[in-house]
Amino acid sequence: MAGSTIDHLVSVTIFLTAMLLFISLFNQTIQTAILYQRHRHLATKCSDLIDNMLLSPGYPLEWGKTNCTPTSFGLQDPEFTQYRLSPFSLMRLQSLTGSPVYYPKTGLNYSNVTMGFGNFLLVPYTEAINYSTAGKLLGINNTYGFQLTITPIITVSISDAQLNPLKLSVDVAGAGFPLSNAIVSYCFITVEPTGGEGAFPAYTVDYGTSYTNDEGKVILDFPSVDGTQTSYVLIAYAHLSGLIGVGYHQHVTHTANYVIPFISDFGTREVIIAHSYDVHGGSNPAEIAYNATFVLLTEDFTLREMPMENSTGKVGKINYGEGKPYKNITIPTYNPGILVITYRKSAQESGIVLMPWGISAMAFKVAFGDDLSDEEWVATDIRQVIVNKIAYQVTLALWSLEGYGVIG
Amino acid sequence: MEFGRLWGDWLEMMRTIEVFLVIIIITGAFIIASLFTILPSPRQVSPLNLRRLALTTLQTLDVDYDLSSTVFKPDNDVAWGQLQVALSACLPPNIVYNLTVYEVGVGTELYTVIRSISNAESLGVGSDSASGLVASSNVTFNVVPEKIGEKGGGGTLYILNCSDANGWWITGYTGQSLAEDLYNLLSPYFKATIMVQNTTQLGQILNGTALQGESLGNATVINTVGEEVRIPSEYCKTPYSDDNYARYCHFLGERVCLYNWTWASIVGYPFYYVSNTGYFNGPNDQNGWGVFGMKCVAAAGLNSFLRGLNGEGYVTDTVGWITLGNPPTTPAMEQVQLSSSALGFTNYYGIYPSPYQTATRAVPSTIQNRYNLNATAYIFDPVNAGGKTWLAGATFVHRNSTGYIKGKLIPIGLTRTTDIRITALAILSYYEPRLYRSEYTATGTSRLVVLQLGQAGGV
Repeated sequence: MAGSTIDHLVSVTIFLTAMLLFISLFNQTIQTAILYQRHRHLATKCSDLIDNMLLSPGYPLEWGKTNCTPTSFGLQDPEFTQYRLSPFSLMRLQSLTGSPVYYPKTGLNYSNVTMGFGNFLLVPYTEAINYSTAGKLLGINNTYGFQLTITPIITVSISDAQLNPLKLSVDVAGAGFPLSNAIVSYCFITVEPTGGEGAFPAYTVDYGTSYTNDEGKVILDFPSVDGTQTSYVLIAYAHLSGLIGVGYHQHVTHTANYVIPFISDFGTREVIIAHSYDVHGGSNPAEIAYNATFVLLTEDFTLREMPMENSTGKVGKINYGEGKPYKNITIPTYNPGILVITYRKSAQESGIVLMPWGISAMAFKVAFGDDLSDEEWVATDIRQVIVNKIAYQVTLALWSLEGYGVIG
Repeated sequence: MEFGRLWGDWLEMMRTIEVFLVIIIITGAFIIASLFTILPSPRQVSPLNLRRLALTTLQTLDVDYDLSSTVFKPDNDVAWGQLQVALSACLPPNIVYNLTVYEVGVGTELYTVIRSISNAESLGVGSDSASGLVASSNVTFNVVPEKIGEKGGGGTLYILNCSDANGWWITGYTGQSLAEDLYNLLSPYFKATIMVQNTTQLGQILNGTALQGESLGNATVINTVGEEVRIPSEYCKTPYSDDNYARYCHFLGERVCLYNWTWASIVGYPFYYVSNTGYFNGPNDQNGWGVFGMKCVAAAGLNSFLRGLNGEGYVTDTVGWITLGNPPTTPAMEQVQLSSSALGFTNYYGIYPSPYQTATRAVPSTIQNRYNLNATAYIFDPVNAGGKTWLAGATFVHRNSTGYIKGKLIPIGLTRTTDIRITALAILSYYEPRLYRSEYTATGTSRLVVLQLGQAGGV
């Protein structure tokens, strides 16, 4: 009788232990399967979502050219089909990476897509579309987090090969691969501090084309330009088998005082011209005069200057501090291009700054969305797109906000 | 006895034995289940959509038909070398590719390989592909336009080609050459296109008589001679000659309203002069600039026309100049640009005027409220200057008191010399006739391009 009782106790104990062990083992397999399904679903969602963003212009169709908040989110250029994005809709995305800039004279914070000194793109937060709004419009608010990155495929790097006489080196490359025999069309603008009417600076514009060698490089000669004494900018477009890239390089003789353009109104194409001292401070502030022009990429991949009327505010003087208002300038077109602003403090101190009108004009990179560095599992997908002729690569990173925890 | 005792012991341990049997069975089940459960590789768990990447890569490379051009040059190593460079440059470094071009429908095989390029011997364990048909530049496309008036009334285009009238602000052209250009541009889109050859024929249609049995109502009338308008001899008398023929312009407005015409003025200040070289042949019958055969109506012409269009009785004009170009009252000129919708129509209809133009005679937006007009089909974006909004190109639709559309005016307020394509674009922008495109399929005009992508490295 006692043996039977012991048998019972031992068997039940062994059975329960074995069952727990097997449940745990089967559970691990089931967990893996569930995780696989969730990750697979996330990847599918990522692919769907990137197509939703890129194959719809949103509503209103031209929301990128207005100040309104869209009621439907999409980045496609409404004038085209397939994967062609609006350069203006991209401009209105609040930058993830750049530190916001506060301009006291308007009392506004600006989304900062600036790419180094002299290459500004500052959009007021009041007119930029933020991550939360985009998430709501896409129907993924509180469900998924995302980061959208739009990067130019072709990199056109320009550097000084020699300053006097000036020689500039242009390197054209793709994803770690040089573009040999690419056509390079360029626009070279030099500042003439004393050449304009009154105290306004003038500028000269030269155009040309050349070809890259087997290493994707070309040296451009400007024998009449002394780079140590002259402020200049080179804007170059590279073109090969349907791929177009853009690069720029400027050299200024004066950086203590300069102008900073802020987008003011997309609907009226107004841009604020601010004094650098009012934005970043500094030493030895002084009044500066400026002269603006607008450069377009034409159908034959050459750059052309589009003259601006005086009524658009193309020339003026800007001062710093209280009681010295900012100036306004009106961009004459909705065609993407580059606003080029030459400035001078004195006959020897001048400079030049650029602002893209349409994100593609200067191949600015756009990063929009949330930080993904702490996320557990991120799905990504890639598309090749065209933004006003410039080849870009769009990467969407997507993650779930509902977690991946599995009990057991 | 001994056997019985041992058997009794076994029986007392039977539960434990059963449990061990159950464990063996479950262990077997787990091992078998594990054998059949193949966990996916990380690449399968979260795959890159290679098919879409391949498709968008093909589209990017063919954005300016560079890919199409290269595909039809299979022996051009330079072009294929550039294509390979472009492919390598635009794909991520871990992506390997194979691009193959097939001839379609030649010989017994449906697809014949023409040429292939690749950057790897193998595309790895998993790959995906996208394909697209590209057309040769030798392919002919056939476009059949929808006829304006095909569904509904109207559909007649009158081009005022009157040889007995001179032009003004069309320097470098004649009214006749512009009429011919307009005929070539617009006649495919209308049910009937009538060249009004002289002022007598103009008089006929003003009196409601069709010239060739065409539909007179809802027609479009294009005045090809700039700031001047033709006047038939029968109207070169009172009361039409009142106020330097401003009353004739009022009569024209009434007729445009009556027949629901669309009146297009190609350049400058509309109705500024009247012309009939047969009647105005006196030594002083010139416009003040040495062009004879015409009389200057001045700004009263447009104002009287608008009154007539709006069904108002004729009065001597006291309003005067209303357009740009009269400083300091109105700004001298403004630069205007094609509207986004007009830019879209340039692509659709294949008419490409310069997107930037100088307006010196744009009309103010205020005429809309004053004369019951509604501006639509903007060719140029409105510009604000001198406290007013100026419209250099749009279709002004007039509605009568009961809300019916009764007449339209298209005043192209640009400076001379005119670009006739602007007028054509304005008319097409308003009516928006559709284009039905079809391709003449012929052997050797299409090739299939297949781009297969794989991921290198990893699992």
